[in-house]
This record gives sequence, C-alpha cells and structure tokens, in this order.
Amino acid sequence: MALLELDSVTKRFGGLLAVSSVSFNLDRGEILSMIGPNGAGKTTAFNCVTGLFPITSGQIRLDGVSISGLPPHRITKLGIARTFQNIRLFAFMTAVDNVMVGAHWWMKERVWDGAFKTKRARGEERSVQQRALSLLDQLGLSRYAGSYAREMPYGLQRKLEIARALATQPRLLLLDEPAAGLNSQEKVELMQLIARLRDEGLTILLIEHDMRLVMEVSHRIVVLDHGEKIAEGSPAEVRTNPRVIEAYLGTGASEATRSA
Amino acid sequence: MRKRLAAFLSTEAEGGPSTAGTAVFWILGCTASGFLLIGWLLPWFVGPYDAGVGFSAQDALVSAPTGIGTILIYVLAVAMVVLLLSPLAEVVMRLRGRTLGRRADRIRLYLGIGGVVLTGVVWLLYRVVQEEPLFGQVQPGEISDSAIWLTMYGFALAALVYGARRWVIGRQTLAFGTAALPFGVFLPLMFHQAPDFLLWAAGSLAIYMLLALGLNVVVGFAGLLDLGYAAFFAIGAYACASFASPIHNIHWPLWILIFVGAAIASLFGAILGAPTLRLRGDYLAIVTLGFGEIIPDLATNNVFNLTGGPNGISGIDQPHWGFLDFSESPRWYYWSLLLVSIAVIVLLRNIERSRVGRAWVALREDEVAAAATGINTTTTKLLAFAIGASVSGLAGAFYGSLVTVVTPDDFSFSVSIAVLSIVVLGGIGNIAGVILGSVILTFVIFWALPNMDAWSTTLSSTVHVPALANIDFGSYTYIIYGIALILMMLFRPGGLLPSRARRIELESAGESESLAAVQGIA
Repeated sequence: MALLELDSVTKRFGGLLAVSSVSFNLDRGEILSMIGPNGAGKTTAFNCVTGLFPITSGQIRLDGVSISGLPPHRITKLGIARTFQNIRLFAFMTAVDNVMVGAHWWMKERVWDGAFKTKRARGEERSVQQRALSLLDQLGLSRYAGSYAREMPYGLQRKLEIARALATQPRLLLLDEPAAGLNSQEKVELMQLIARLRDEGLTILLIEHDMRLVMEVSHRIVVLDHGEKIAEGSPAEVRTNPRVIEAYLGTGASEATRSA
Repeated sequence: MRKRLAAFLSTEAEGGPSTAGTAVFWILGCTASGFLLIGWLLPWFVGPYDAGVGFSAQDALVSAPTGIGTILIYVLAVAMVVLLLSPLAEVVMRLRGRTLGRRADRIRLYLGIGGVVLTGVVWLLYRVVQEEPLFGQVQPGEISDSAIWLTMYGFALAALVYGARRWVIGRQTLAFGTAALPFGVFLPLMFHQAPDFLLWAAGSLAIYMLLALGLNVVVGFAGLLDLGYAAFFAIGAYACASFASPIHNIHWPLWILIFVGAAIASLFGAILGAPTLRLRGDYLAIVTLGFGEIIPDLATNNVFNLTGGPNGISGIDQPHWGFLDFSESPRWYYWSLLLVSIAVIVLLRNIERSRVGRAWVALREDEVAAAATGINTTTTKLLAFAIGASVSGLAGAFYGSLVTVVTPDDFSFSVSIAVLSIVVLGGIGNIAGVILGSVILTFVIFWALPNMDAWSTTLSSTVHVPALANIDFGSYTYIIYGIALILMMLFRPGGLLPSRARRIELESAGESESLAAVQGIA
C-alpha cells in the first residue's frame, strides 16, 4: 500500500484554482519529485499535505488514514516533516535548539518537569541534546551547533532545516526546493544526503527546479502546471513527454522538439 | 570613540590573553566602588528617618567630631575617593590607549588594605569608645553596622581587584561570586533592620518585579504583545481580598491565597488567550488592551456583589503566624516576597531552558515553521498566557495583603504600561535584564520622581540659585520619565541588558542599514 495518497486534491483561493484535482501515490522508500513551472501549485500542494492550508476538496491519506483537515502539528506527529522553500528556521535560536524543537512533540517532559528540573526532564534534555548534536554532526553542522541559525551560511541553513525536520522522526520527508541557492559543491552533498536518507528507509517528496538533481535522485516524477497534474512517470519518460516540454518551454518548443 | 568603548568593554580585546578580561576587572572595580558608595551614603539616606533629626552632608562637615576620629575620616575619605574614581580613570586611560600601570595598582592595593584596617578601627571606636566619627547621629547598632560592613567589603574587594589582577582574571566566576555575595546575603539582611519606608519600597519593587517577570513570559519569550497585563494583577489582588477579608467573611491564610490568586489569574489568562489565538501583533495588543480595561470596570461596577464597587475591598487580613506578625512591619512581607521572587526566578529560568521554553521561542520566531515542526501552537500560546498571568496573580495576592485595600484604580492602564516599560527597558526576553529594569524603574518611579521637588529646593539653597526652587518638578514627572525612556530606547534599543537574540538582531540591523546607505550612494 502506498504511504501517501493524494486523491483528487483541490485547493482554491477565492477565484484562483491553485491545485486542481491532483492525484498521485507515493510508495514507501520512494523518492518522488514534483516539478513544474513557477506558480504551478507545487508548494501549495505541500502546504495542503502538511496541513498548513485546509484543502477545498479531495482526500489526503497517510498509510490509508485520512489526514485532510488535521492541524499541522498532528500531521507532524503522524510522521510527515518538511522544509520550506524560503528557509524558515528559528532565526534567534541556536542550531542545536532548532533541532531540539524538532524533538518537541515526542519528548515526554511536561511544564512542571521543566520548571522543577525533575530527573526525567534532565535525563531527557540530555539525551535529546545528544541526539541533536549527533544529527548536526551527521550533516556536517557541528561547528555551528552553538550559533544562531541566522548567523550560519546560507547553504548550511538549508541543511539545518533538514536536520530539524529529521529530528521529528518522520516517515515521509517533504523537501521544498532544497537546492535553491546552493553552489555546485553543496548540490553534490545534498544529492548524497538525499541518497543516504533513502537508503535509511525514508520516503521523500521533493520539489526542485534543478533538473540534474531531480533526474538523478528521483524514482518517479510528477509534473504540475497551472495546478493540474500533466504528467507522471520515470525521469526518462517525463523528459520526453511533449506536454512537459510544452509547459516549460511553450507550444512552439514542443513542435520543434518533435520535428527535431 | 564608540568603537573604542566597545573594544574596551569586550572581554576578547584584540591584544589577546594579556588584555583579556579587562571588562571583568573593570566591572569588579565598579562593584567595589559601589559598595563604598552605598556604605558611605546609607546612613545619610536612612539617618533622618531613624534618628528623627534632619541630617545632611553639610551637617556632617559642620559638626565633624574632633580628635582621632577626624583624622581617620579624612584618611578614609581620600582612600575612598581614589578607589571610587579609579574605574573612571581606567576608562579614560583606556580610551586614550594607555593603562594606569603597576604603580597605580600597587597604590590602590595599599589604599584598599588600609581602608579595611581603618574602617575596622572606626568601628571599634564607635563600639568601644562610643564615639561615632563617620556616620553621624543615627541610632546605635543596626544601619551603621551594615554600612561599616559594606564599606569594609568595598575596600577589601578593591584590594583584591587591584592587588591580584591576574588571579581575578583567572577565576572570573569565583571573583564575581565574591563580589555579588553582599548583594545576595548582606543587603537582604540589612533590609531586615531598615526602616519601614524602605521595606515598603522593597516590597513594591518585588511586586513590580514579579509582574515584569510574568509579562516577560508572554511578551519576551512567546512574543505576544499584551497591553492589559494589569488585569491579571487585579484578579490576583481581588482574589486575595475576597478570600481574606470581612467582605464575604472568608479568612484564608496568605500562603494559600497566593496559589489561589495564581490559579484564578492563570485561568483568566487562558480565557483571554483562547479568543486571541489567531491574532498577532497590533490586533492582539488591542484585544488585550480591552481586557485590561474591562476587568477594573467590572470591579467598579461591583459585578455579582463581589468586588465592593469603586471603593474596593478594605480590611484585608494580614497574616499572623506565631511570632511572624505581618501587620507589625512590612519586614515579613519583604522576606516572603524575597523568597517568592527567588523561587519564581528559578522556576521561570528553568522553564525558559526546557522543552516549553524552546517552543515559546520557536513560536515567536516563526509560527508556521513551529506548527510544521510539531508544536501545538494553541496549547503553547495558552500556556504562555496562563503562566504569565499566574505570576501576576501571585503578585496581586501579595499586593492585596500588603496594602490591605484594593480599589479598581490600582489596576489602571498605567500599571500595564509601567510593567511593559520595565520589560522593554530591562531587556525583552532576558530575565536578568527584567530584574535590573524593575530595580531601576521602581527606583525612578517611586523615589526619584517624587523626590525631585525636594532635591531641587535643597540644591537651589546650596548653590544659591533660587530659580531652581521655583521649578515645579512635580508636574513634570511624566515628561521626565518619558524623555528618559526615549533616550534609553535611542541609545540602548535592546534594553539595559539585551538578550543575546536582541543584541545580534540590532547589530545586524545596523549592518544592513549601512549597506542600504552604501547602495543608495552607488
């Protein structure tokens, strides 16, 4: 059974149909990329999946259970974590605290535990901090553990966002343009990271404009345009799909490629 | 100039480890000066009330005792002035790029040691010979003793700081601990003997500090602007008044009422929080403002015959447990408030560094990201409102018991604003800053502003400028207060002790501003 199912999901903002009856499935351990021109509704789809926007109609299911209409933190608890296109870190928290916020929902510490520093609170704080530090270490961020997120270089901020998402112990990771603004070296590292996460059994839904990265890491690709799904398939299939070429380059271009 | 000052104040001076710790050293020097100053001035502040006789610096000079005492005074005074001014001298020399050198250190070491010994002699004279050279005519014993101890402490600290520079720099924590010891131990003990008016001031200071600490949870940690915070103060005070006065004939003890007040206030905090969950910034501020107006109005209108209307509730019980008679002197309120404040500070500090504290800051920084990272924004916000309000309710219960009368006028908008300005002035989101802010602002509001008239009269007769006496400072208090706040925000926008976050934010704001200027030119 698929891990995530989108069943004719529609999102309407007033007169604007941002996502129009989009359906696709995401299997366990799969990397699925969502591509499409700017304004195609990719990020809106992400926001629908993570509960930031209520959907207008349709169904989103995780493991066969409907999650549409749940608040974002409940969806995170069910195992969906995400990063943001325009980095949304907690700017004035240290890197390690940013990651520790990811552990918020599964920590058992209550307010009074924290206030009175009970044994439980101290033990859990320590172990969570250790985990956060090792997560930072794995992503090569340990040097910045004590700095504020906003003091970190841009590329590392993107990584920190991934670290924070991973700290929520997700089954499904949604990455919204993780390569935006990275240099080629950082992109290679990102690709390796994504491959490693996949090997660890994480399912990944990816929005990305960097086609090289998309083609290399994805198992399947979904193409959106004007809120509609116009193609779905393996990277090779999508690359040659005339509707995709049309969406990206215009009608003339698809004619040109066909005749070429 | 500014850069140099910054370099001077930073612990990591460019010169490497040799000059590192300059700030530590300088702060300790200032602390020593502070003790000397407090020790010296204390009898003069307290004197008139204790002795019932007008007493001023002028009197001290005119009626200076003769003999050995006089000589001692002048020697001590010289030592004291040198040590008092030396931190200032250090700054001046540093700004000119020079240092005072080892010889100056040596001299100050001797002055410090000499000061300790001579103050000891003075104390002996005063105790044994019953001559009182330094401290004039105050009642024997108490304050003068404290003053002498503080003076001796100041001298000893100065000797330590100037005599053992390297040792101090190597053991900063220990050195700071030693320096802070009198504040932690001696000052509270001194207050025990202080006259009632000082204990009253300390009590109101503690109450304002509790209020500011509670508001700091809402405004500083969680980033929710609350303009009606006095409402929770009122709720706590009225809770105390209702359950410990003849009005409903209920007489519960104060130690239960502080929890009752806190619980009721936190309940109202959650009730106010619920409808405002979707609001942010200005909108939230307006709603909380309305709440802050509604509560005193309800009290004025005597809802359900609970609040006693515009005259409020009077005759609130003051606890009497064995020898602890709270009505006898504000002394016991002072001690209870001291203990409660310490407990509240410790608890809030723990919460700040716990799971919930992180969630608050995350919420303040980015609500959307916080929600997507698994934080339940609803409960987290409500928790901030409830905890902030509970501290205020606790302060309210103490207030009711301390003043024994609560009226709706005590909880007007100006109280909310005063507390908010304490938080902002001290340093939003920084507990230490809020404590400092409450000390300074209560000092200004309750002591400096009301006394301004008297001071100007005294000053005018001293310097023979009669015009000074004619200025009616009493009617300008709020203007002076306002100007002070404006200046403060201009020169130290992050507050007296900005939190690390605010400091970096302001620094980088400066950078991007200058960047914009550069781009504008190009």
